[in-house]
Amino acid sequence: MKIANRKVTAERLVRDALDKAKHFADYNIFTFLNEEGALKKAREIDAKIAAGEKVGRLAGVPYALKDNFMSPEGDTTASAHILEGCASPITATAVEKLEAEGAIMIGRTNLDAFAHGSSTENSYFGPTLNAYDQSRVAGGSSGGSAVAVALDIVEFATGTDTGGSIRQPASFNGVYGLKPTYGCISRYGVVAMASSTDCIGFFTKTPGDMDLLMSVANGKDSKDLTTLDNYYHDSKLKKAKRIGVIKEFDNDSVDKNIKKALKKKCELLKSKGYEIVELEMPALKYALAAYYIIVPAEVASNLSRYDGVRYGFRSKKSEDLDALYSETRSEGFMPENKRRIMIGNFVLSSGFYDAYFLKAAKARTLIVEEYAKAFEKCDFILTPVAPNPAFKLGEKTNDPVAMYLEDAMSVPLNLAGVPGLTIPAGKNADGLPIGLQLIGPRRSDKSLIEFSKELTE
Amino acid sequence: MEIKREDILHLADLSNFSLSDAEVKSLGGDLQSIIKYISQLDELDTENVEPTYQVFEMENVWRADEILPQDASREELLALTVEAKDNQIKVPKVL
Amino acid sequence: MKYVPTIGIECHVQLKTKTKLFSEVDNDARGKEPNSCVSPVDYALPGMLPRLNGEAVRLAVLAGRAMNCEINAESRFDRKHYFYPDSPKGYQITQFYQPIIGSGYVELPDGEKVRIEHAHLEGDAGKLTHFDSYSLVDLNRVDTPLIEIVSMPDIHSAKAAHDYCKELWRLMRFADVTYGDLYNGNMRFDVNISLAPEGSDVLGTRAEVKNLNSFRSVERATEYEIKRQSKLLDAGEKVVQETRGWNDDAGKTTGQRSKEEAKDYRYMPEPDLPPVRLSAEFIEKESAKLPPMPSEYRKRFKGIIANEILEILLDYPELTNKLNEIDQKYVKNMSNLFTSVLLAEEKSAEYLNDLPSVRDLNELAAMNEKKELSSTATKEVFLRLFDPQMKGHGTRQIAKELGVIQENDLGALEKIVDAVLAKPETQKAQEDFRAGEEKVIGFLVGQVMKESHGKANPSSVQDILRKKLS
Repeated sequence: MKIANRKVTAERLVRDALDKAKHFADYNIFTFLNEEGALKKAREIDAKIAAGEKVGRLAGVPYALKDNFMSPEGDTTASAHILEGCASPITATAVEKLEAEGAIMIGRTNLDAFAHGSSTENSYFGPTLNAYDQSRVAGGSSGGSAVAVALDIVEFATGTDTGGSIRQPASFNGVYGLKPTYGCISRYGVVAMASSTDCIGFFTKTPGDMDLLMSVANGKDSKDLTTLDNYYHDSKLKKAKRIGVIKEFDNDSVDKNIKKALKKKCELLKSKGYEIVELEMPALKYALAAYYIIVPAEVASNLSRYDGVRYGFRSKKSEDLDALYSETRSEGFMPENKRRIMIGNFVLSSGFYDAYFLKAAKARTLIVEEYAKAFEKCDFILTPVAPNPAFKLGEKTNDPVAMYLEDAMSVPLNLAGVPGLTIPAGKNADGLPIGLQLIGPRRSDKSLIEFSKELTE
Repeated sequence: MEIKREDILHLADLSNFSLSDAEVKSLGGDLQSIIKYISQLDELDTENVEPTYQVFEMENVWRADEILPQDASREELLALTVEAKDNQIKVPKVL
Repeated sequence: MKYVPTIGIECHVQLKTKTKLFSEVDNDARGKEPNSCVSPVDYALPGMLPRLNGEAVRLAVLAGRAMNCEINAESRFDRKHYFYPDSPKGYQITQFYQPIIGSGYVELPDGEKVRIEHAHLEGDAGKLTHFDSYSLVDLNRVDTPLIEIVSMPDIHSAKAAHDYCKELWRLMRFADVTYGDLYNGNMRFDVNISLAPEGSDVLGTRAEVKNLNSFRSVERATEYEIKRQSKLLDAGEKVVQETRGWNDDAGKTTGQRSKEEAKDYRYMPEPDLPPVRLSAEFIEKESAKLPPMPSEYRKRFKGIIANEILEILLDYPELTNKLNEIDQKYVKNMSNLFTSVLLAEEKSAEYLNDLPSVRDLNELAAMNEKKELSSTATKEVFLRLFDPQMKGHGTRQIAKELGVIQENDLGALEKIVDAVLAKPETQKAQEDFRAGEEKVIGFLVGQVMKESHGKANPSSVQDILRKKLS
């Protein structure tokens, strides 16, 4: 990535990024442009460079921040009406780490409100358009971030991935997108969707950039008790020999161009001396159902705090306390938020907990075990990210289940806590990008990123 | 299972939503098809399987009992509410 | 008809940690401004995650062991959902499925046992103040660590309910997990009461009286409920299952809004906190720090300290534990000093925080035993032992400074007696005594005391005089 130095100033990099952001305004990528703040920071970095002072590893690198990361620059809305006007007094740990290395946030990017969705159509600010076809969706929920990188506005963008929200939009827009191992990057200061599956990750143009960002952002955080030790730095690179493909994902619901792309990459790997292993993972069939029980439950719980009392939007109809709650929440949430909250409350409610939530938590065990078994037979797994390339705007908005099926191949990783990296794998006849995902065991992130270089021809 | 209108109203109550009739109808249909989809877990045999709530191998993660400075002050926090009075958050009366 | 009451009690105990259960802010908000002890975590900003206080876990282990409870090897936190401004997250973090403290029992002063079903760690709620057209929300108390102790329905009278609550209070103070300040709500009781006709093995419908904050109100509210429910049942009416509030001034319980359906809290495992797994060694090591509990003291001091005195002492763990450390032959004497002298002092509460050393107390008792100190002097020196100005001086030095040590050296005393008997002004009294006038001995003792500057032990003086004059 381009880093500021004596020849290229941070101000130049930031101005270029801001110009491009404005040029591509009709894609509806940003919910906030950080013009003043970004330029001020750029000048500070340039002054340091001019004075010969030490600057960070990401000095002057313009980046886009998904609008569910809290920081005092711009309101943190998570593209939700109910968080309108929420100027955060705190800074997410991930943002703090990036900025400490000199990265400069030029804007906040659009998402499905509270990251609920696979198309960025559930945003209070309207959909973001696909980088390759404006009639198609950007994918989601981190649609804005994916398109910001794909259109080369920024060098990288942050994302969150609860069930595919980084990997799927990365594949729809032809960029790299990593969902790290659960617990690798602190969730402190990131608007929670589902605590047990939420992961912070990045969109980049190269595996090398991804490695750099991971080494900056990973690590234990006393403000998030579910962060792992700083294993990323010390990871020994694994020598991969066998690559698995999942038999159950070779079915009719998967677009034939995607199947073709997968086959092509397997041929490439074979030609490089790798062994391709076919894996049977029957429990994955149930991953999506388990996911759409566990995640809505955690969503319903995590979104209980949005009530109009302490921050964000408060309904004008708040005559008494009951109305304050119910009117604020009714007006403040998008329909998809409401669906997930109500499903979550259904699966947790008295009489249904055992049949749904507990059952799903047990199914999750089988899924975790299935990955463990798979990684005894192979080093990494290569699969499609989503069954299809970017679909048309509005195509699935009236059918929530059809939208959920988009996530069938991405959610199992979140349930198991294993890392997955979307790699660009060509385009279909319509010029739409195709992505594949490379999956590794927990804590294999560094090897996974390194290995992805083998997949480029 | 079949989701009736009163089930939707009960879930709306648990979720603290006041839904319009149109919403009750449209959400009702959506919820019915989602519940039908997730109910396919019924076919999975989970006998003698322990549940997994977290995919995080750590335990006993806790902190020392020491007062530390916080990331935001009372003033910064109260500035976020629609209305504060006497350093407290003001809410409409409880019926 | 005659009814048998069945009573179960839930007790919330605020733990005396320095910081809250999930954030590093001051846990003691007494006398502080509203919302001054609130972190972004307590305020439930988006993206905030709980940061568990390890000390609360440790105190829970101590509390559990004090109640003879199993400590569960694995425990977890859960979310209990409800919407109200005192709950900023929209849920309370508690332990529903796997609490840290398992079953045990509390032994009451009369030897009866009340079984503990379980006890769990959880965060407290904030406070609302209601005005005519609005309410104000103060989050200072949000996530103060609590343990909630759930008893089995083993209590069958208002008196036993009182005794159970008081004994719990003592246990928590002996375990040193709470300040136990009832006035400030450090312990609060919810009492479940139902009546069943005598001989029936089916329990009646229960009413729950919530938020009682004194043993007396527990007893009165329970008495009231037993009467109220008896009357209803006698009249053929039904007891409604509901939550009731206690009005201490009116001496009445009143029904609070009863929702037609029970609240559905939708308990869910807390995904932001890793599980707590405690080794047997850790539990053992921590429990070893506990002093004996009141029931043990009752056995240990039986026949040494009168029951009434011991029951007073058991309200003061510091004093009871101190008694346990001093020489056993002085326990009785010291228990009297503690209850009749120290506790009668205005400053006794202050004094309790910093008791004299075992050495000083043993010495005091020894000097009294050897008659070096009269009982009046003993009390005087005893109180000085608590005086911050004198404390470091040591018992003997204080007694010397006060000039109250009695002369007991018989050789030295004899010399003084001889000197007094040689004086001309005592000759007549000596003759009178020999002639059988008993009461002049008083005059002679007085003369010796004068000669000794008051330090002689009067009864020893009298013994010597009698010997010499016989």
